[in-house]
Amino acid sequence: MEAADTRGRGAMSTRPARSARQPTQLMSESTKGMLFVLPALALLVVVLGFPLIGAMLQSVNLMWVDHPHFSLVPFRTLARDPAFGHALLITFYYVVCSVAFHLVTGICVALPLNRDLPFKWVFRVAALLPWTMPDAVAGMVWRFMLDPLSGFINSLLLALHVIVQPIDWLGTPHSAFASVVISEGWRAYPFVMLLLLAGLQAIPRTQYEAAEIDGANRWQCFIHVTLPNLRTMLVIALVLDTISQCRVFGLIYTLTNGGPGDATTVLPILTYQENFQFFNTAYAAAMALTLAAITFIVSLPYLRLTMRQRA
Amino acid sequence: MRRPVSAAYIGMAAMLIFNLAPFYWAISSSLKSNTEVVSFPATLWPRNLSFQAYREIWLNGGFPVYFANSLIVSLATAVLAASFAVLAGYGFSRFRFRFRTALMSIFLASQLIPSILLVLPYFKLLTIVGLYDTRIGLIAALTTMSHPFSVWMLAGYMDSVPIEIDQAAMIDGATRFRVLIHVVLPNAIPGIVATMTFAFLMSWGDLIWALCLITDETKITLTLGITRLVGEYRVEWAQIMAATVVAAIIPAGLYLFAQRYIVNSFVESAVRE
Repeated sequence: MEAADTRGRGAMSTRPARSARQPTQLMSESTKGMLFVLPALALLVVVLGFPLIGAMLQSVNLMWVDHPHFSLVPFRTLARDPAFGHALLITFYYVVCSVAFHLVTGICVALPLNRDLPFKWVFRVAALLPWTMPDAVAGMVWRFMLDPLSGFINSLLLALHVIVQPIDWLGTPHSAFASVVISEGWRAYPFVMLLLLAGLQAIPRTQYEAAEIDGANRWQCFIHVTLPNLRTMLVIALVLDTISQCRVFGLIYTLTNGGPGDATTVLPILTYQENFQFFNTAYAAAMALTLAAITFIVSLPYLRLTMRQRA
Repeated sequence: MRRPVSAAYIGMAAMLIFNLAPFYWAISSSLKSNTEVVSFPATLWPRNLSFQAYREIWLNGGFPVYFANSLIVSLATAVLAASFAVLAGYGFSRFRFRFRTALMSIFLASQLIPSILLVLPYFKLLTIVGLYDTRIGLIAALTTMSHPFSVWMLAGYMDSVPIEIDQAAMIDGATRFRVLIHVVLPNAIPGIVATMTFAFLMSWGDLIWALCLITDETKITLTLGITRLVGEYRVEWAQIMAATVVAAIIPAGLYLFAQRYIVNSFVESAVRE
């Protein structure tokens, strides 16, 4: 490959080679390219690669144990551990509910935001604001919003006579689970909305005009023009959101810490507890690896799509 | 599409209420007195405006230290992540070399590894090299977690800077590094602002890394500090809400400032087209 022709795409590749440009070159262009990437790569290997290998070795008892020996006991224990099974199920329910909430809310907000309303910029700024709040901080704010006696939600519902006595939202399993989904939904839906909005903006106006000439009403326009055009973006939003929801930690840690009981104990919370409260480090590593494997499988379509577009 | 505007406004009004209510509640609670904040039923707006909670967190306890730590850690992470990303982004954007595509996929895929998997062995490694419970260990972790995305984002941004200006400078005899610093960098400022903002927001909002790597009271960050404000017997909600307001104002302000840059870059790097 002609290294000096750096971009090698479209019009660029038709340019004449410029190998005679620098007569006194100490190293090839290709080596230089690698040198620019090297620092970032070194960081990746040291801070990400070593721990990753460490976690793998640890999960099969080869490292950081008293008598290193290969054993699949941590993984076998996982398969029989009801706490792990429960956390897996909770994580699954949680991810499904959250992602559905984000997609539905996201599209409901993206559609009006895509129109030329007066003060559009105010709405756009406000629409993304929740996403800037750190998740642990959002968990704390929502915890106080949901406080049974002095919280915002109960005061509002009491004032509107929707309820007659305060509800302990975080005290019962089902309402605690719903609270987690809505709180994290509040914080995370703007990102999904942003992706969908970008998708909406890319739809050519002429397609809607053609549909209107054919006599399509608003609902038909949405079904036959908006949704098909939005398909790729919906898949990307779905996958990215699923990945980020699989690893939810900060918000649950501050909102319920997995409670009441284990009603909102998702996998990352359980892994954290295994490691730092019960000190089963090998077992925690096996758990985290399982989570990573699930995340990786979910993200394969996204990885393929992105690399194909980039490379 | 000429639809009635009123439906869109109703949707927007609902969005505004949903999005802003928690901000409103945090701010109004932080301005209540310690007794009013826990009264039943809660008052929607403080009867007597009181800045007592803010005074208490700034004057008593570790809050100023937590705040300073978060600022140090996040700024360092933003600068470091952007520096690594500028170099690597330039390498990926302007050169073709062996394993280039493979390396790019590694950068992309590394973002998918959950923090909870890495943080446990990283904690052991830090203990071995003596960096456990230091800000440097935390900064290294956060830089690594945020730089793959930054590399991806900046490589994309630099692709949009015309290569002709590189070529013109090189014909004048500039080295590659000089081209990067004097020609490409000034043209990639919006991309760099976006990556720095992203890395700053990520480390400012981090809980899990600080939670697992920091125990020393003088080194803990703001998010971690806030979780520790919840006492075992008493919860001073006015103070906690004042702390959350401060913790939320920094990223919200940064977002308002860098809005234009981050929104576009973010969408573009999530969706390469």
